[in-house]
Amino acid sequence: MLATVARRSMQSGKLTAIALFLPPALLLFTIFVVLPIAEAAWYSGYNWNGFGSPKNWVGWDNYRFVFETRAFGLALRNNLLIIAVSLIIQLPLALTLALLLAEKFRGAVALRMLFFMPYILAEIATGLIFSFVYDGDYGLLAAIYRQFGAEAPHLLASTQTSMLAVLIVVVWKYFGFHMMLFIAALQGMDRNLIEAARIDGATRWQTVRLIIIPLLYPTIRLSVFFAVVGSLQLFDLVMPLTRGGPADSSQTLVSFLYSFGVMRMRVGFGSAVGVILFVICVTFAFTYKRWFMRDE
Amino acid sequence: MSILKRAALAAAALAMTAGLAAAQTTVKWLHIEVNPNQVKIWEEVARDFEAKNPGVKVEMQFLENEAYKAKLPTILQSKDRPHIIYSWAGGVLKSQVEAGVLEDLTPAMQGYKDNLAPAAVAAFTVDGKIYGVPHAQSQVGFMVNKELMAKGGVDPASIKTWDDLLGAVKKLKAAGVTPIVAGGADKWPLHFYWTNLAVRLGGKPAFQAALKGENGGFAGPVFLKSGELFKQLVDLQPFQNGFLGFKNPQAVGAFGDGKAAMILAISSFYHTQKALAADKKGIADDNIGWFDFPTVPGGQGDPTDTLGGINGWLVTKGAPKEAAAFLKHFVSLDVQKRLAAGNFLIPTFKGAEEGLASPFMRQIAANLAKSKYHQNFYDQDLGPNVGRVVNDATTEMAGGSMDAKQVAQAIQDAVRQGN
Amino acid sequence: MNSSSPAVGKPFDPAALYKGLFLAIVVVFVATPLVATLLGGFKSLGELRTNPFGLPQVWEWENYAGILRSPRYWILLRNSLVISSLTVALTLIVASMAAFVFAHIRFFGSAMLLNYITLGLLFPAATAILPLFIKVRDLGLLDSYFGVVLPQVAFALAMSILLLRRFFRDLPVELLEAALVDGCSYINYFRYVTLPLSRPILATVGTIAFVNSWNAYLVPLVMLNSDERYPWPLGIMIYQGEYSSEWHLILAFITLTILPTILLFLLAQKHIVAGLTAGAVKG
Repeated sequence: MLATVARRSMQSGKLTAIALFLPPALLLFTIFVVLPIAEAAWYSGYNWNGFGSPKNWVGWDNYRFVFETRAFGLALRNNLLIIAVSLIIQLPLALTLALLLAEKFRGAVALRMLFFMPYILAEIATGLIFSFVYDGDYGLLAAIYRQFGAEAPHLLASTQTSMLAVLIVVVWKYFGFHMMLFIAALQGMDRNLIEAARIDGATRWQTVRLIIIPLLYPTIRLSVFFAVVGSLQLFDLVMPLTRGGPADSSQTLVSFLYSFGVMRMRVGFGSAVGVILFVICVTFAFTYKRWFMRDE
Repeated sequence: MSILKRAALAAAALAMTAGLAAAQTTVKWLHIEVNPNQVKIWEEVARDFEAKNPGVKVEMQFLENEAYKAKLPTILQSKDRPHIIYSWAGGVLKSQVEAGVLEDLTPAMQGYKDNLAPAAVAAFTVDGKIYGVPHAQSQVGFMVNKELMAKGGVDPASIKTWDDLLGAVKKLKAAGVTPIVAGGADKWPLHFYWTNLAVRLGGKPAFQAALKGENGGFAGPVFLKSGELFKQLVDLQPFQNGFLGFKNPQAVGAFGDGKAAMILAISSFYHTQKALAADKKGIADDNIGWFDFPTVPGGQGDPTDTLGGINGWLVTKGAPKEAAAFLKHFVSLDVQKRLAAGNFLIPTFKGAEEGLASPFMRQIAANLAKSKYHQNFYDQDLGPNVGRVVNDATTEMAGGSMDAKQVAQAIQDAVRQGN
Repeated sequence: MNSSSPAVGKPFDPAALYKGLFLAIVVVFVATPLVATLLGGFKSLGELRTNPFGLPQVWEWENYAGILRSPRYWILLRNSLVISSLTVALTLIVASMAAFVFAHIRFFGSAMLLNYITLGLLFPAATAILPLFIKVRDLGLLDSYFGVVLPQVAFALAMSILLLRRFFRDLPVELLEAALVDGCSYINYFRYVTLPLSRPILATVGTIAFVNSWNAYLVPLVMLNSDERYPWPLGIMIYQGEYSSEWHLILAFITLTILPTILLFLLAQKHIVAGLTAGAVKG
């Protein structure tokens, strides 16, 4: 008797809790995350400047226009470049530093913190700092060139070098984060295995190559995942540096969306870019999870 | 949690106080003027207006030119948008009118609109209604540093044709002088070349035909030729090192610092270069010169045709009446004369140009008076999207990544896509 | 000399030398721009040009003092603080409530709803920025703090709920069962047991939300129009547009605006590192 009363009140307590606790999150999430992306799909069929309601239905035209725009191709290429640099330069750099700094020696922690610092700085501040570094008149780079009596290149002002300049900043800002991921993984690692290898006479390099790196595979996959996702979102860093220019040479997908969609209030066109970006993100997340992170 | 709660409460309290407005009428006026000397006069004009109209407060807000253009579309959609905004008329104005975000100023301007230059008022007229109060005009042409020109052995007065200009660039380069400084990062300073060439090549008829899509539209022969001629200049590498990374204020400042012989300028840069130069003095009056954009052999345009801006103020929908009243005050003869006396602008109030103090600005005023075809800036005239594509494409050409045909085609494609 | 390094006395080890050299290069690469920015703010524009790296010959305190005296700097910081605090508070409240339900209450559709929320991990706010703008406009929230806060909270929910749920589930189940039998309601249990026990994870989630909101640019850029509500990343971009080439002032302004972040980082470094990397890993 007592038990059923208790159960019934528990049941109603459950319902109250659900009714009170869940709706705020669901509502916020639906209104500001799910609806907008669904509406993006809808708006992308219209030619619309945002005033009134969308009326001018153009079908797939906006998507065609996106693919016809030269800047879109450049943005796509640049996003791939960022991914490539993350994999070829940033990841090995982060891994090497992690291996060096996971060991205990005086200053190791300070160095870790120093290397991690760029990651917590705002992208905007980082971009501005580097637009100073690269400035052809007052910048640090210019000063170095002047030391050698050469005229400084304006890295951000040339279609040939603008993306290179952005990539350097990307590495500067994010390698510390990846390094921390690796250090965390290294510290959680079973020391016995490594000791055993040492005792068996493995050299340091053999230990790293044959034991530590294989044990780090899950973290490496994770690091790659973040590098790709980060590249797809890159915007704040580009704006203070180049605004995507010159001649769209350093445009990323999001900066392309901003300068061709938001700044011109072409809601349909911008939504089409958003939908394309969404499809890329979702496809990537699912295939990556399925193929590379199955075991986690 | 308690700290967080307190923080949240404090934050909410701050949010509320920030939202409180004064009880009196406030006119929010958003401007883009970077020249502190001119802003100072504007502030005085605003205080003056407040003194004459008790209970009205004029609040000045500032956005830098590029930030303003980038932000305007979203600003206009906000319910507490500024009441007075800056405008270059043209297609951008037209699309704002179509969007229904502007007040019709026709009734408010009765009684004084005839005091203003008719062409300027016409520029702010859409479908028979006036939507803006023009306060300034300008001309695009080459502003020169006489000393540096002399160093290269070039007489600015002798540059009449496009080939003369190319020759001058070569001479200056040979003498080790940077021929032209340009703010390529902002793009529009470069689109002046292409559009002014089109003005010279085709005159008014070509532009109007292109708007209607005749003769191949903007991919037609006149515009192709503009691109080809511009390419000739680009191939000489006439611009300062890293010009694609210079924003316009930086470029104007560099001219003021005496770093280049020429700048394809809006006439108002005459004063801006002083304000933006490192020493705040810039190039002295006797060292500064001007020549009109060179002509092109066989061009259909009249040499007196001008490319330039017509600038004015718009009143956004729902603004208090005092906004229009303030604009009336702003373009009154006294104020216009005062701004003219400071050589900040070519006034629109008929007769106020008499007040222009410097010969330089008087020459510009005379040019504009002579002009029978004053072409507004393309990037404004062609509307928000096409205008930006013109800027993009011509900048790509200056950067060497597009040829004349691609430029013309990109612009025509944009026209086809509409806004 | 003799006690400072363990390497002393050992035979010369080239590996240690290479290691030291490599670390030194990375230190220079990372630190130079930061130090030059800090010092640059103390120089005059002329000196910045001739001596961008070294200590200032004349310390121009006025660059910093001028900014600190201007209301502009303080308004930016206040706005950023308000927006970030509101974002953190709302994220923690809304996410922990939802996470509690997902962790402890079994009901029909719970798995489905959790999956629905997880969708939020898949794409950034940028993808839907235009419709988001229209939505915020239609709700009348443009140019208000909440026009920025609510989207930020919504996009932070997925990650926050997952992190919190995992932590809540790891709390001893016996506690909840005992409490329920004693007649304690779910809501009281959440309030008096779960939350106090979850300080570490709440701090982690709060840190992530705070740093993201403090540094955010795109959403405020699109939603806010008047400078009295701009957070600092917007304000500093405007400042730079205004002072285009006056790098000494811009550098001082940058230094002053990133100072709070760096101070916070130095004070709570362990927490922030753990928060940001753990948040990433578990997400």
